[in-house]
Amino acid sequence: MMTQQGLVLEQLLSGQFICEVSDEEAWRYLQGESNAQKIETQLNLLNRTLATAAEGEVFYAAYQDLADKERKVLTSQFQDIANNLLPLVEWLLLVQEAAGSDMPVSRGLPIRLNELQTVIEDTPAFAEQIEKISRYRLFGSTSTTLDGQIKQVFKRLVDLGYLLKPNPEKQLFIATGKIDYLFEVLRFIDDAENLSLSQQAEMAAKQESLL
Amino acid sequence: MSRNLQQAGVRLLNALSRHSDIIMQAYLTGGVDESQVSPKVLEQLKNLNILWRPEPDSDLRLKSAVRNLLEAGLNDERNRHINANIGSAIAALTTLSQHYKEALYNQRFEQAQAHLNNLTEQVYVLTDMLSNGVRALFGRINNEFGYVDSLDAKIRENELAQSQVSDLLNQLEMIRFDELVQVAGSDRDLRHLLVVVLQNSFARCTQELAIVQAKLLELLGRFREYRGRTRLLKGFLLHNEQQPDFVPSDYTKMSNVPLLFNVAPGLLQPAAVDVQNSEHELDLQAIVSSIRDFRHLKKAQPERSARNIQIEEQQEVALEDDQLSQAVDNYFCEVIESGAYITALDYHHKQQLEFDPEAWLYQVIGGYEGLPEEEQRYFAIDALGEPHPIYNGNYVISDVVLGLR
Repeated sequence: MMTQQGLVLEQLLSGQFICEVSDEEAWRYLQGESNAQKIETQLNLLNRTLATAAEGEVFYAAYQDLADKERKVLTSQFQDIANNLLPLVEWLLLVQEAAGSDMPVSRGLPIRLNELQTVIEDTPAFAEQIEKISRYRLFGSTSTTLDGQIKQVFKRLVDLGYLLKPNPEKQLFIATGKIDYLFEVLRFIDDAENLSLSQQAEMAAKQESLL
Repeated sequence: MSRNLQQAGVRLLNALSRHSDIIMQAYLTGGVDESQVSPKVLEQLKNLNILWRPEPDSDLRLKSAVRNLLEAGLNDERNRHINANIGSAIAALTTLSQHYKEALYNQRFEQAQAHLNNLTEQVYVLTDMLSNGVRALFGRINNEFGYVDSLDAKIRENELAQSQVSDLLNQLEMIRFDELVQVAGSDRDLRHLLVVVLQNSFARCTQELAIVQAKLLELLGRFREYRGRTRLLKGFLLHNEQQPDFVPSDYTKMSNVPLLFNVAPGLLQPAAVDVQNSEHELDLQAIVSSIRDFRHLKKAQPERSARNIQIEEQQEVALEDDQLSQAVDNYFCEVIESGAYITALDYHHKQQLEFDPEAWLYQVIGGYEGLPEEEQRYFAIDALGEPHPIYNGNYVISDVVLGLR
């Protein structure tokens, strides 16, 4: 039998994000100062360190020291993130708008695929949008049916760790802390590039209401 | 006196139950549809102070006392009203306790008892009011202001609740226990009511309000966060529409890579099987035994049917088959024409056939067996060969001879 420590270490070393939704026990384990310290020492052996994002809601393993080899990995990874940002943002907004709520998708939010699919099928604009999203390289769907497209998108998101499917029999998905990580990336880019995205959105909303 | 009161109360309650559907209609829709109800009933309800008409041309509405009763009884979340006029309640308590003390001093015990009852009622009303207020706040927090739809409305509701909490806290400050202790003096009953009961309720209420306040702030923070996130998403889309070629600069090139983009990829690979470990034996056996199932599963996926089937090759095979049986037919005809016994291998040799001799023999035997029974009777077939030198009972056929009967 593996200890909790071993399980946590294994997850971190496999490049997984640990949050309250994906693995509550592991997440609670890492909340403990001494536990985190233990994990940290073991990660350090492999030139890794315990990192958190989204105000301590998400744990993952980061490189401790960066040499050329590590930098190369990170650069290619960053390019993936930058390329995938737009499809993910479009998907997040689609889910939110289809649910008709102001609540953005965030950690712990359940998404019922059947309900979502019904709404999307009934609304041509949403159907067009999901088709566009599914064609991105990130999702890579070639399906011509809406059912195939939406299933492929959700499958990829589960593979990438943004969603969790607790019961393989049911079409219920739960957003993980990696979504919060994504928001943090967005916010970072917003700050670093001085995009002032929120203000842009606010201005646009004001103009719409004026019209 | 009390008998009259009782009768009037029973009459009121009876009226409530008799006209419950009208009252519930008024509660849910805000007013009574007067065309549906007889004017006599309405007049009666008005006289009993259940319904009233705030302005001459407005609908009949429920009196707030009845509405409060229903809200409290139904735990209705629409009950957003918190009544906390503690100052006047405290003043009433002080006055009543002075009446009580005066009556006691003048040895009018019955009157004193009435005053005490009244006072008890007032104190409990006050504590009930406080706990109701807190309960209403908690109810709203627990469903995260679920009765309004948009985030902006939730934020406004949250701000309203916060102002109500600070109002309640301000009012609670008006309960001065040093004054109440003085009012109560040395009277045991008064001390119990004014100090112990109120103190308990006061302590519970302030404690809960502190929690409520913290929760409200937390919720407000979360709502603002949600709003910020939605704006972030929409802003990002807008930005991409305006600058489709937008690419963030590569932060991993910075001398100090932000931790956010420093995600080490996975490094563990699945472990290999250890066949030496006897503890794993059962599991491994189970895995091995399930391998057959995998093959079975693979067969069950004949979905990729769009491939071109190579028909030519199959035809070739059939042709070869035909050649073989054609040759056998020729052999049979040769036997009939010559009328002599010809062994199959001799014929094979003479005609310089290209088939494998063994296949040829099988085909000849098969050809014979394949004939209808009456045709079989014209032929005599005999197998040439010898018994197997080692295994008893096995006969090795080396050639077949065929002739006419």
